[in-house]
Amino acid sequence: MDLVSNLLRRPAAASVLSLIGVLVFYVVFGGVDFGKLMNAASWVNYAARIGIVALPIGLLMISGEIDISIGAMIPAGAMTTAIISGYFELPIIFGILGALLIGVLVGTINGLLAVRTKVPTLIITLATLVGMQGVVLAGSKLFTGSASVPLTAPEWAKTIFGQLMFGGSHQVVIVWWVILAVIFWFVLHQTKYGNWIYAIGGDRESARNAGIPVNSMTILLFILTATSASFVGMCHAILFNSAQVSGGMNDIFNIIVSVVVGGVLLTGGFGSILGVFVGALTFAVVNKGIDFTAIDRNWSNLIIGVMLVAAMLLNNTFREMALRYTPKKGGKS
Amino acid sequence: MNIVKLAKLMAVSAFSLVTTTVFAADIFVIGGKPDDPFWSRVKKGAEDAGVVAASQGGSVTWLGPQNYDNLGPDAAELIRQAIDQGADAIVGPDWVPEAMDPAFKAVVAAGIPLVIYNAGGIEAADRLGAMNYVGAVDYKSGYAGGQYLAKAGQTNGACINTLPGAANIEAFCNGFNDGMKENGGSGSVLQLPATAFGDSTAVAQAVRAHLLKNPRINAMFAIGDQDTNAAISGIQQAGKTGAVHICGMNFNDSILANIKSGTQACAIDQQGYQQGFFAVSILNNHVMYGTTIPTREILTGPGVVDASNVDLVMAGVKAGAR
Amino acid sequence: MPKNTGNVQTMSTHSSSETKRGSLAALARRPETGSLIGFIVVFTFFSILGGSVFMGPAGWSSWLNIAAEVGIIALPVGLLMIAGEFDISVGSIVPAASMTTAMMAGNYDLPALVAICGGLGVGVLIGFVNGFLVTRTSIPSLIVTIGVMFAVMGLTLGLAVLIKGSTSVSYVPAPLAKAMLGQFINYMFNVSIFWWLGFVLIFFYILHISPIGNWIFATGGDRQSARNAGIPINKVTIGLFMASGFCAAFVGVVQVMTYQQAQVAGGQAFIFNSIMCVVIGGVLLTGGAGSIVGILLGTMTFSVVNQGVFFVSFDPNIGSIIVGILLLAAVLSNDTFRTLAFSAATKKSRG
Repeated sequence: MDLVSNLLRRPAAASVLSLIGVLVFYVVFGGVDFGKLMNAASWVNYAARIGIVALPIGLLMISGEIDISIGAMIPAGAMTTAIISGYFELPIIFGILGALLIGVLVGTINGLLAVRTKVPTLIITLATLVGMQGVVLAGSKLFTGSASVPLTAPEWAKTIFGQLMFGGSHQVVIVWWVILAVIFWFVLHQTKYGNWIYAIGGDRESARNAGIPVNSMTILLFILTATSASFVGMCHAILFNSAQVSGGMNDIFNIIVSVVVGGVLLTGGFGSILGVFVGALTFAVVNKGIDFTAIDRNWSNLIIGVMLVAAMLLNNTFREMALRYTPKKGGKS
Repeated sequence: MNIVKLAKLMAVSAFSLVTTTVFAADIFVIGGKPDDPFWSRVKKGAEDAGVVAASQGGSVTWLGPQNYDNLGPDAAELIRQAIDQGADAIVGPDWVPEAMDPAFKAVVAAGIPLVIYNAGGIEAADRLGAMNYVGAVDYKSGYAGGQYLAKAGQTNGACINTLPGAANIEAFCNGFNDGMKENGGSGSVLQLPATAFGDSTAVAQAVRAHLLKNPRINAMFAIGDQDTNAAISGIQQAGKTGAVHICGMNFNDSILANIKSGTQACAIDQQGYQQGFFAVSILNNHVMYGTTIPTREILTGPGVVDASNVDLVMAGVKAGAR
Repeated sequence: MPKNTGNVQTMSTHSSSETKRGSLAALARRPETGSLIGFIVVFTFFSILGGSVFMGPAGWSSWLNIAAEVGIIALPVGLLMIAGEFDISVGSIVPAASMTTAMMAGNYDLPALVAICGGLGVGVLIGFVNGFLVTRTSIPSLIVTIGVMFAVMGLTLGLAVLIKGSTSVSYVPAPLAKAMLGQFINYMFNVSIFWWLGFVLIFFYILHISPIGNWIFATGGDRQSARNAGIPINKVTIGLFMASGFCAAFVGVVQVMTYQQAQVAGGQAFIFNSIMCVVIGGVLLTGGAGSIVGILLGTMTFSVVNQGVFFVSFDPNIGSIIVGILLLAAVLSNDTFRTLAFSAATKKSRG
């Protein structure tokens, strides 16, 4: 019993229960064939796409900041790769480096503005979002004259970034997602950097006074979020042989929702990597599961909205129970 | 009831049950997002044809992306999802060939009958091994608009693009500009930022400002009902009603009212309903009975609706089919 | 408890209605001055580049029309942010209200007044749901309103296709309704501009003159202290969400009357655009500070930039980049002014 209650008190517990709840809903009320759902790759691919970005966003939110410029960074990464290697036909390695570089650049700008000014990061990244939307569109028109660019990547690039495995449905991005999740889990939960991130999210000034390099960590986290977004874009460009300009607004909502459903608090200081990982899976199931039911597609957004609120209620109930729980014995909590 | 009759009845029902469950067609249709006015008509056509499929024990499932931010990859994913969901037949648009062709080829490789519709043309169908192509070609639709306006004497055109990046809108505008150019005029594109998408006032004000800044423009082309109505308002606000003619892509009852009252010159009809209806019907009959349509490339447009034929079209619009 | 102070301890909040001193220096240190300077800079910039067309009535009406619509929504969104909450669902309330009005009047032929009330009622109802969920659960308002946004989008589409069979409804408004809500004066200035100014006055009264304004600042400053001081923070929060629902619905109704049709999709742009107006106007994201004048100036600045790009010879593609840079610049200058204002205030109180 102690083991179970210990498990239930972990931040990720609520998000795992949300995932189970969502699956149960679809199977029981939506008539989804569970086997077919498990067989299908589309939702896992989608989970990987938002999951890779959700991981560093989760870290950033635990540290008390937010980054919405990722919405424009995903197409920015895709377009950079496509323009460099598709339109200008430079070797793909330049396209890959270009995409990562633009992520580092924008992340640095976000981070510098965050630490040097008192402007809230929601606004800073809103400005970079709007700015990058313009840069990508203008750049695309300037260099190629059109808003979507084709790209043919060589085999080795495809194998590493853009392959389809398991008989042609699952994307390699899933492997990247799992690897990154493991790395981030290690950093957040097993190293001192993780402690620093929690501390910064708890109280920035106290963390600074305790000697934690708050500014450097913040800039680093922003670089991670922007670069992971451009990385995802790059992988997709390589896999799908094309990139297009886009606003990316929906990705923003989807990713933030995944992170919050995963148990990360918007105010900072609380959350876990496992939670964010499961949160991305949950959102992907909510989003894509509708296609497996007989419910008219017109109602899909309604279902997403209701499930979101329900998952959050579940999350909050469990977190409150967990925080209120006091161990009866003097055991490890 | 007579025992023999009962036995016969049971045998017949058992036989029909067996035949319908064995040959029923689960058809998956990949299309645009459900709140897109044009695609809601395509969906209606597909679902109306689906009534026939359902009566035979089959089904029609509509798969559409949540938004158009990542059109090619999202659609390619949906195509593969349809395969995973056990489709007996698939209908899909070839919006972004380089992203979607591998997925379509997987469909054919899996032995699933495929019809390409709405985008790609018969070239796509031939290249991919699909049974047929049903639809209009976006480029040609834009071209028809440009041609109509240029021939009417409006020779300086601008195409309004509120969703830069969407391959189909790019095709419309390219077609429009070529249509103007090749009929004695010239064309350009008015591009709006992503923050203006879906906001009629933003589109109207942008159009008005653009017209005031470029007074030589006398022809415009807008994609979709909302943008067209907003553009007409912008033209009015710039004081150029009558001087600037506008054609729109697709239409609804307010657009037809515009054409009737003269504030809009024409609307280009892709007959989306027909695209959905025929694509699904062809596949359903093929799966059930093995039939095919020998005519390759079934064009549903572009048709031009203007003051001369607007009344005929109005009845269809009321039913939500046009 | 001193009235209207919000968060006492840090430099990051400032109550604008305290400084009733008439001196010019005090005026210069108000946060709104930063917004005003931002507006002047931006307007001058575009006037120089846009020439006589921009400075003439065509230019003015162009950005004022935009300002009116986003401005009506920015006012309650700003109040919500002062109280420490977000409302993302406004993006879906606009089409929900316009579709409701258009269907009631166009499809079912109900009188215009009934249809308008129906549309506005939908907005108020959704706002109530938002407020209820935010106050009764501990889910942050950002997430609640994202969820409600999705749900309303789905309902609007599903019901539209179910009832009308299509995703758009056209409606030719009765002449009185059109004259009051959807008319262009002289073909240029939309009547919504006057409605916007009316809303500005109403919200100014609420925030700066009536006691509810104190409550809003207090709620945003420190929720617990406000509750302890006896302020009905739940009612305030729910009321604010109902106000933003109402205003978003109002814009939806205005759009139906102006453009004579309603669409299921659309309205998403208002979400971030209204936030930008509010922030440029000096409202802090952390809650507790802001002013109506600031929001007004922020809305005007945003609209001038948004529209100005179409009057100048730039490639309109550059427009978004400019908006981003100007947004940052406006916020940074606000920030500087606020810091200056505070250092001056504390110097004064010490000296």
